[in-house]
Amino acid sequence: MPILECLLQRRLIVVTGKGGVGKSAMTSVLGRSLARRGRRALVLEVDPRENLHQLLGVAPSGGAIVEVAPNFYLQNLKPRHVVDWVVDKQVKIKMIAKRVINSPIYHRFVEGAPGLTEIAILGHALRLARGELPDAPDIDVVILDAPATGHGVYLLTAPKLFAAAIGKGPFADLASEVADYVADPVASGLVVVTQAEEMPVQEALELRRVLAERFGRDPELLIANGLYPVAPDRGDDELTALWRRRYQLNVDQLERLDRQWAGPRINLPLLPIDSGAELVAALCDRFDTALEAL
Amino acid sequence: MDLGSRLTVVVGSGGVGKTTLAAALGLRSAAAGFDTLVMTFDPSRRLKDALGIGDAEGNQEVVVAGTEGRLHASLLDARATFDGLVARYAEDDEARRRIANNPYYHHLAGHLGGILEYMAVERLFEVASSGRYARIILDTPPTTQAIDFLEAPTRIVDFLDSGALKIALAPWFDPNGELRATSRLGFVGRGLERFLDRVVGMQLLRDMSEFFRAFGPLFDGFRGRASETETLLASAETRFVLVTGAGEDRIPDTLFFARKLDEAGYQLGSVVVNRVHPDVGSGVAESEMSEGQRLFQWLGDRHRRGLATLRGLLKPELPLLAMPLAGDELTDLESLDGLGRELEQRWLAALRHPTS
Repeated sequence: MPILECLLQRRLIVVTGKGGVGKSAMTSVLGRSLARRGRRALVLEVDPRENLHQLLGVAPSGGAIVEVAPNFYLQNLKPRHVVDWVVDKQVKIKMIAKRVINSPIYHRFVEGAPGLTEIAILGHALRLARGELPDAPDIDVVILDAPATGHGVYLLTAPKLFAAAIGKGPFADLASEVADYVADPVASGLVVVTQAEEMPVQEALELRRVLAERFGRDPELLIANGLYPVAPDRGDDELTALWRRRYQLNVDQLERLDRQWAGPRINLPLLPIDSGAELVAALCDRFDTALEAL
Repeated sequence: MDLGSRLTVVVGSGGVGKTTLAAALGLRSAAAGFDTLVMTFDPSRRLKDALGIGDAEGNQEVVVAGTEGRLHASLLDARATFDGLVARYAEDDEARRRIANNPYYHHLAGHLGGILEYMAVERLFEVASSGRYARIILDTPPTTQAIDFLEAPTRIVDFLDSGALKIALAPWFDPNGELRATSRLGFVGRGLERFLDRVVGMQLLRDMSEFFRAFGPLFDGFRGRASETETLLASAETRFVLVTGAGEDRIPDTLFFARKLDEAGYQLGSVVVNRVHPDVGSGVAESEMSEGQRLFQWLGDRHRRGLATLRGLLKPELPLLAMPLAGDELTDLESLDGLGRELEQRWLAALRHPTS
């Protein structure tokens, strides 16, 4: 199946890659692209310091769902609120729920229990995509701006491990529900972002290996971002020499990906655009063209 | 003038080149005659090979070739550190066995999430107190929130001092795995049990309680080590180097980090703005530039603008070091040493002429 159709089918797309490669910009590009094709898309950010709104040209929302364009939404999620929601739902008496949520011991538990945050994030995405959140608009696909690779892998593996480690209870139930969802190759997908430099490529390849080992599946798409333009053969001035060497580095790493990454890839250039929203718009046009050609 | 300090902590967001700079600082420290250890987390394959830790086991301290035995490098292995901790500090074989068989321990120890920072603190304590090195250069882990690592010691101490641990350590379950309090409380107790089961799940509570009880004797030592590490990080012998990318979009992140360090009472030695694109100058009219030349001009301008803005926002006496973008990724000892020299020169110049 062409990659475009695959992406249009997914209900959850996790975008990950090494720190600093442009994950947030690519999350925005992907969301915008899918929204333009008629999918009701929501991009979900979990960084407590909001950043995606700048790339989408809207005001910071402080946690509420914001409409960026028709069919296109943004939310900055506080994982803690999702955990509170689970407690609130389980404990029918509101006063007791409130006391549990406000107790310092509960705070420590939520902060300290490994895996709980990850389950909260994915659980929220799951409920959004299923239309189970009362005040949310109808959403077809959630695009998650996931933490950098190491944590991104943990994000995906945590639910299964958590479910196995804690057996039963509402958090365990949520964990296994989320784990099933993440393992379902039709419902959920993964897009990896990299730059054509050694370390990010290394991480992308390692992520691919871990994903194959743990889930028996491959990422849907790789985006090689921030590529230098073709350098001139002539010219010995300092700038041209630097340009040529950085360009060559890109070429070498793209060749490495050609050899080692068996799957669709989109290359995107480094563009001289200051405003985040304009940059995303320009990259989105190129992304769309490349996506249709795959 | 000697720029080194007993402990140098290299901090910053992911992907800014911390590990490479840490290695460069390590080489310079060794060249100045100090027995130095570079502790790192995720170097590239080529950097690992250059340092000679390509095939080393986690936590193994390996001599870096060509440094006359003065520079050692080591890769942090969180799981090995955790296991080592249990092996070293558990009261007896029985306690060791109980921890090793606990599913909650496996969950904690098997994954990076959250535990890496704690183990980095443990490992730092271990190395710093061993007296094996005159200088330690610590590269920090790629955390989601880059500040997590620095707050880890405080979090450990807070957690241990909070009531949470006391509750976790209380003998909640009798040997049959029944909740003690609830069996004594009869009908009310069964209600409580159902309530707890609904909220967190009884199995989790059982495993956690078991884990904390088995781990209990280790906690006092843990608290002591964490607070000593906190003291070391805040001491006059420790200096932080904050690494960031060029460009105005990185400034909020950099200021946030600098403020956090300041609030924690940590000494920031310098801010390194890495991979600054060169100044293209105005030799060619913009209309005659190729697409690539325009891109480079844009990058150069953007980075210089970013540097000027950042300079205005940081304390004037704080050295701000702009490191130029290199043509290649630096992965051999010679070019790493060159990078270290360049950094030293800029640092010294900044100290001699503040805010220039």
